[in-house]
Amino acid sequence: MSEIYIHSASSFIGGENTDPIFLKEKLSSYTEENFRRVNRFILLTLLGARQCVHHHALDFDTAIYLTTEHGNLGETASVLDEIYSAGSLPKPFGFINTMSNTAAFYLARNLGVRGRNIMVSSQHLSFERGLELLQMDFALGVTGSALIGGVDEALLSRTALEEQTDRVFRMVNGSGWLYAKPVKDGACGAISEIRSFSDRHACMKWITERGRSNVDVVSFGALIDVDEAAAMKEILHPLTEFDYLCDYGYSGSATACGVSLFIMLFHEKTLLHINRDQRGHFAVIEVERY
Amino acid sequence: MICSLGDSLDEIVDAVRHKRIRLDRVPFTLASLPHTKPYYLIERTVADKLHNRSEAYFYEVLFSAVSRAFLDAGLNKTEIRDMNVFFGSTSMDVPVFEGNHRKSSSTVSGIFLKSSYGYGKIAGAIVERFGIGGNCYSFATACTSSANALLYAAAMIEEGVIERALVVGYDLFNNLGFYGFEALKSIAETDYRPFDRTRDGLILGEACGAVILEGKRRKAGDFMHLGGANLCDTYSVTSHDEEGTAVAETMNRALRQAGISPGDICAVKAHATGTENNDRTECAAMRATFGCEMPPVTCLKPFIGHTVGACGVNELILFTESVKKGFVPSTPGFREVDDKLNLTPLTENMEAGEGIFMLNYFGFGGNCTTLIISNKGDRE
Repeated sequence: MSEIYIHSASSFIGGENTDPIFLKEKLSSYTEENFRRVNRFILLTLLGARQCVHHHALDFDTAIYLTTEHGNLGETASVLDEIYSAGSLPKPFGFINTMSNTAAFYLARNLGVRGRNIMVSSQHLSFERGLELLQMDFALGVTGSALIGGVDEALLSRTALEEQTDRVFRMVNGSGWLYAKPVKDGACGAISEIRSFSDRHACMKWITERGRSNVDVVSFGALIDVDEAAAMKEILHPLTEFDYLCDYGYSGSATACGVSLFIMLFHEKTLLHINRDQRGHFAVIEVERY
Repeated sequence: MICSLGDSLDEIVDAVRHKRIRLDRVPFTLASLPHTKPYYLIERTVADKLHNRSEAYFYEVLFSAVSRAFLDAGLNKTEIRDMNVFFGSTSMDVPVFEGNHRKSSSTVSGIFLKSSYGYGKIAGAIVERFGIGGNCYSFATACTSSANALLYAAAMIEEGVIERALVVGYDLFNNLGFYGFEALKSIAETDYRPFDRTRDGLILGEACGAVILEGKRRKAGDFMHLGGANLCDTYSVTSHDEEGTAVAETMNRALRQAGISPGDICAVKAHATGTENNDRTECAAMRATFGCEMPPVTCLKPFIGHTVGACGVNELILFTESVKKGFVPSTPGFREVDDKLNLTPLTENMEAGEGIFMLNYFGFGGNCTTLIISNKGDRE
């Protein structure tokens, strides 16, 4: 399969109660468009992605892959209240915004691009699944450049996490993005591996076979427990662990934020990000930072 | 497939062949509105009645459709275990929260926020129920959701990334969608009449469809995916550019990816929501793509309603199963040509044999998806 070359990265992480007005103000640094009738999820999407491509001229055919655990479910709750509690028809734009791909639409329109526009989710592994789709589209040649990101609000991330792990994280609003192409020229890094494993044993076997070659940094998803992480580090012997969950907080899109933060913060290093979902499936992303 | 026409393929295709449709009317009780609007509801037994539905009902419909797909494809346990799941829906599990609300004193949003496990939950339930070991991909791109699930599942198989996929399109009745489309003034008063001069909107429907994709035919007559495309029309969040530029480009890219020309298409399954804008845009795009050589066009929503994100899979099933039985379905409800569209969809069933067909799907957020399928002999 094709490699995914990273041409820029960004990560916007806001506190649990980040005000949409603050997000609009931040966004105004990147675009003159005045967004009306948009919610926090859409603003997070726009802000993270605009930061990522601020210095890039995009092709008309640039594709957008928005990955999320919960998408616009915050707006969905408000619209359900309008129907069930207020006993009224929902406001049209409120209803339209319950569809999470509206965020990817507003982003495409703002950037003036018309390529593929996909929103995909997969419990705890949404970003990894999005990367797989992108990698395949690069291999098929259906797109020559893409923005891929993960966006989630703090509010909805808590419940889904608390039932799966005893670990406690600071909840944040997260929007992490990569601008990617299938060509190396001008790239600052690459996604050189995306692998999925149906259980811990298969993942550990791959890590063992892979040995210690070129792994400078490791990072772990929220459901990897302390013992699992220790066993993996014992095999990999990385120079350091990038504990982005502890340093920057958790959202449903923490993996997207963690990978983009690695690109922003490290140089000439290789990252192995290891994640798992609630049914014990594992996914590994290898990221090279040139 | 489970829809308003029934839950067996023979029964459903027979209803399509004879233009038998079943349309209910649903009141807007929660908003105390004095009128009702039509809806294509699943009604097999008393358990299907809206007031009887629960979380268990939601999953019974889902698991039943998936079980039937496994049975129809003749999959063994190992084949089921090794497959990947592609799920597409607009409402996801909103019907579950609305159902639970009936039994609880909490607000529906309260229940929702406390127990929302995200868009991946339903695909997660499928793999758990059937012991599937592969990956899950849940698509939420409004009315193209399950069409995009099909597009990616087929591409992954073609690229050799995966061997087999279960693709599910599921949208069950929910007040969020019903009241939401009413707020947009998009719901027709009585009948579904896409492309008709007197069309007055869409009629929602509920359905759960499941298909199995593999790299090789299991049975003679099985369809192949030849290619497809997805683009974003940034004209408006709710409608498409009436010139149909982006929609036509999507159709053309799908044709190129399939390695065929417009003249190779035997029939088009239009998205045909019956709304003023969609039908005008889609006609313009088809004219731009096919010119004077417009193939026969069919609209399937008048049979089962607009099943929103689920329509990708459900209309694929309706179309392919009809062709397997020898016909491309007609479009019930069409009476008067709209001079501005100058398009008459099939008003009688058309005999069908082997051929290449185009399936179109469009959605909010400018999402456009075209699939090209064929039941001709295996391509080299």
